[in-house]
Amino acid sequence: MWQLIVGELNYAMQEFVRSFARFLPRLLAMLIIALLGWLVAYILKIILRGILRIAKFDRLADNAGTTQLLSNLALPTSSELLSRVLFWLVWLGFILLGVQVLGIVGLQEHISRFFLYLPRFFVALFIVFFGLVAASFFSRATLLAAVNADFPSPRLLATSVRTVIIIFAVSMAFEQLGLGERTIIVAFAIAFGALMLGLALAFGLGGRDLAKQFLESRFTKERQEQKQDELSPL
Amino acid sequence: MILTQDPLWYKDAIIYQVHVRTFRDSNGDGIGDFRGLAEKLDYLQELGITALWLMPFFPSPLRDDGYDISDYRSVHPSYGTLDDFKSFLTAAHERGIRVIVEMVLNHTSDQHPWFQESRSSRDNPRRDWYVWSDTDDRYHGVRIIFLDTETSNWARDPISNSYYWHRFFSHQPDLNYDNPAVREEMWSVMQFWLEIGVDGFRLDAVPYLVEREGTSCENLPETHAVLKELRSKLDQHFPGKMLLAEANQWPADLRPYFANGDEFHMAFHFPLMPRMFMGVKLEDRKPIIDILQQTPAIPDSSQWCLFLRNHDELTLEMVTDIERDYMYDSYAGEKAMRLNLGIRRRLAPLLDNDRRRVELMTGMLMSLPGTPIIYYGDEIGMGDNIHLGDRNGVRTPMQWDGGWNAGFSSADPESLYSPLILDPVYGYPAVNVYSQKRAGHSLLAWMERIIKTRKSNQVFGRGSIEFLHPANYRVLAYVRQLKTETVLVVNNLSSSAQAVELDLRRYKGNILVEMFGRNIFPRVGDLPYLLTMGPYQFFWFRLRRI
Amino acid sequence: MSVGEVDVLVGVPTYNNAKTIGQTVQAIRVGLLKYFPRERAVIVNADGGSKDTTREVVAAASINDLQRSSDLYSLRTLPCISTVYANSPATEVALRTTLAAAELLRAKACAIVSPESTNIAPDWIEHLLRPVYRDDFDLITPVYRRHKFDGLLLRNLIYPMTRALYAKRIREPYAVEFAFSGRFCSHLLEMQIWDQEAGGIGTEMRMSVTAIAGGFRLYQSFLGTKPHLDRTSADLVTAMRQTVGTLFWSLEPNFQYWSAKHETEAVPTSGSECDLSVEPIRVNRKRLYELFRSGVAELEPVLKSILSAQTLADVQTIAKLPEDNFKYPHELWVKTAYEFAASYYKSVISRDHIIQALAPLYRGKVFTFLMENRDASANDVEANVEALCVTFERLKPYLLDLWNARE
Repeated sequence: MWQLIVGELNYAMQEFVRSFARFLPRLLAMLIIALLGWLVAYILKIILRGILRIAKFDRLADNAGTTQLLSNLALPTSSELLSRVLFWLVWLGFILLGVQVLGIVGLQEHISRFFLYLPRFFVALFIVFFGLVAASFFSRATLLAAVNADFPSPRLLATSVRTVIIIFAVSMAFEQLGLGERTIIVAFAIAFGALMLGLALAFGLGGRDLAKQFLESRFTKERQEQKQDELSPL
Repeated sequence: MILTQDPLWYKDAIIYQVHVRTFRDSNGDGIGDFRGLAEKLDYLQELGITALWLMPFFPSPLRDDGYDISDYRSVHPSYGTLDDFKSFLTAAHERGIRVIVEMVLNHTSDQHPWFQESRSSRDNPRRDWYVWSDTDDRYHGVRIIFLDTETSNWARDPISNSYYWHRFFSHQPDLNYDNPAVREEMWSVMQFWLEIGVDGFRLDAVPYLVEREGTSCENLPETHAVLKELRSKLDQHFPGKMLLAEANQWPADLRPYFANGDEFHMAFHFPLMPRMFMGVKLEDRKPIIDILQQTPAIPDSSQWCLFLRNHDELTLEMVTDIERDYMYDSYAGEKAMRLNLGIRRRLAPLLDNDRRRVELMTGMLMSLPGTPIIYYGDEIGMGDNIHLGDRNGVRTPMQWDGGWNAGFSSADPESLYSPLILDPVYGYPAVNVYSQKRAGHSLLAWMERIIKTRKSNQVFGRGSIEFLHPANYRVLAYVRQLKTETVLVVNNLSSSAQAVELDLRRYKGNILVEMFGRNIFPRVGDLPYLLTMGPYQFFWFRLRRI
Repeated sequence: MSVGEVDVLVGVPTYNNAKTIGQTVQAIRVGLLKYFPRERAVIVNADGGSKDTTREVVAAASINDLQRSSDLYSLRTLPCISTVYANSPATEVALRTTLAAAELLRAKACAIVSPESTNIAPDWIEHLLRPVYRDDFDLITPVYRRHKFDGLLLRNLIYPMTRALYAKRIREPYAVEFAFSGRFCSHLLEMQIWDQEAGGIGTEMRMSVTAIAGGFRLYQSFLGTKPHLDRTSADLVTAMRQTVGTLFWSLEPNFQYWSAKHETEAVPTSGSECDLSVEPIRVNRKRLYELFRSGVAELEPVLKSILSAQTLADVQTIAKLPEDNFKYPHELWVKTAYEFAASYYKSVISRDHIIQALAPLYRGKVFTFLMENRDASANDVEANVEALCVTFERLKPYLLDLWNARE
């Protein structure tokens, strides 16, 4: 009886060693791939950093206001961040490739879905980034125009323009990522609609007199100013 | 050949202006004469001209080139005798060439017997034949014509201790036309020549015949009355003879000289001539059209006389100051070229000896409404000598060939009445009739052709004129019309090639036949008619409906 | 065109100017016939699609064998041509059309005259064209007799800065009347300055800069009084775009030229260089002050990216001054201007925004100018402007440092 157990154990041991021996090259392969991946990712990171520096990406990021945002979050600068993200993604990609070599079933599906998901992720990132750039450009334009035309509370106008554009961009990004699309859309629609309705009510009903006064004062003030100003600053 | 008997012969005439002294010397005394002129009538007939205008050849002290006359019924001995003249006249008529002589009515030489008598004393019967005054302030403010030499219109006569009136040189006292005796005598002089057979008179200096206080003493009604009287006598006794007026006036002031066809037959159009030169220099047709549009219509029997140059200076009296300055600067750069208010140069030197320009100007001369006059020598492109005094620079001997004295005379060159032109460009070895006769491309040959073409169609002498106004103002275009004959003349006044579009809608359907080569140009359609022209080129087109 | 080669061309850009065009064209005709009677001349009207009788008036002014002028004597034909360049007016396109016409007609001298100058006189033609035609200059800019409070942008910013940087004392680098030579015209057309950045680029300013940087010969002609135009409806920002914007823009391509210049040269001038009239005139300065203050306050984030920290702090300090004590010192203004120019060059933010941001600060400077010269005589005002110019010149190295920093 004891001999049977030993014999079984022996057999199991041999099986294990055999399958391990079969598994080992794959493991080694995977490790080599991972190592290679690390090297490639590192090189790519350096290259990307270099490219971004030449393209003065940082300045664009400054315009977008991302630099400030990132420093607030105690993150490194945009180009540095981007390079690092690239590094990790590339290395992760290589690792996953290696894992695929291991041949563990079930994992492969997840891995391919991960790779399919990547483009949308980049698009969303793209949208947010350019949304930020646009927001800062238009908010500045509004600020300048309002100041030069002597509108009341220009900063408020500028900030609201920036907010609206950012919200818009973020919503689009989420839609791209597919995270709670419908929720976002509905929420955005409701907020926007409410804003418009509110403005309409304000000017049409409740703020009727105020609106009238505002408009009147705007136009008559200008005329008064014109009469007083015989001189133009030109 | 027999002369045409058309009373309006002068409308189709081509007149050649010549001084007998300059043309040909037959007796070797260095001065041209009538026998010599008669020798050259064949040449003139070949040229194609139909009338000769002779500069004054009456006896004269020659202080004004013959315009100071001392005997009205004879021929200056240098030029021959009266019989020489008569044979010449007959020979001319045989070749179909009419002869127009100068009649200086306004004044005589102070060597004329009449003046000698008139000045001798205040009681002399001929005293009143001239205009005398005790003071020189009568007719105050009247302009002086020979500005370069005279300072006043009055000259003091020491013999009778009074002043006599002279609009020209002081040795040319004015006759007094208020005196009927003067008028009688002048008519009888004209009658003398008409009976010999002369075909017409160029009446010199006619605006100045009569003077009246408080006027400009020019173009007065009394003057016109005198002239009308002469004309009526002429028509009565010598029909078919012609009177040509020399009156340097604005066209509007010239009009009265035609009256209702009962005064002069023809008059020189003085103001047009400088404007033709201006137009070519400015490369702009405006001056030419302006003056022609300001020219009044004249009676049907009357005719303008057109000329490019003559024996006098190119007068700039009838232009504005701006125009005069421009003409001086463009055409008379050297002071020596200017005289009185004009430019004393010949045609070819004025146009820089540019053959194309000479042709263009001649073409305009031949196609504008009027009778053209060719100044002797211009048909071969003779040059001038501005260093000879007064206007003698344009009165040098005719250049017949490249030999002894240019074939003008067999005399010693030093004894000629005037030096010959000698420079390599215009001198007689280069410019002469003989060489040009031998060359088919010469200016002379061209002249003969254009005269022939002009004579081929009466529309030039007798037709109406209507100007076209193409947008390209460097092109002068007009249409001549006589009954059914229509001729389109297009001149490029510019030194560069031009394209011009003419509005010929009225002549739609006509084809254009170019008159020199008789080639057919495209038919006139609805679109503006496009012509492209080389520098200084001109076209004469007959419009025909086929 | 059947006009052919001309010697002299006068261009008049119009748009619905029927009221004044007759007078303008008549003055030009008289001027041409009086001062250039023998020259071949033409009047070219570049029209932006006028709906009134402007073009007919111009065409009727031709002097030719069909249309003779009753009061003027002309030796030759004087064509007056009217051409429509577009259906909406634009000065650049009008100028380009005129330049193209000048080149096509091989004009030796070309003048541009504005139909809105109601006091145009025939001798303007002589003043503008003679230096080109007879004395061989390339660009003639006008000098006017102005009111001391006229042309503020010119006197407080454009003139001093152009003078300091480009080293030529041109008083009116952009004007509605000027003249140029055929040589300069061909150069301008070759440069194809029309195809770039259309809309808002001040062509006249560009012309002056091109002339200076290209080494062309400049001259100034005194024309007359410039009437005080009612320009309260004009927009400061638009004007600044066309003038200040163009000036800043021009600094980059012409860097080689202006960075090497250290001494300013006077430009040959006819007539007095500066003539000011000092009639009293009512001015609402308060609004300028208000706008300056609110501008400085509200635009802080924008100004932070444009100005250096020190300058911004200084500006904010003076913004806190009460109205009566307010003063925008020359030196601070010069530094402001130079920092803006450097920022424009580096495009720290959108260039158009940089120009817009300058407007409120400029208003502060104008306020100071008006306050200081309220009762000043013509000489005092001139001295003031001269002092500003000298400050600009003195601080030119500062601009060069900014320019070269962060390269």
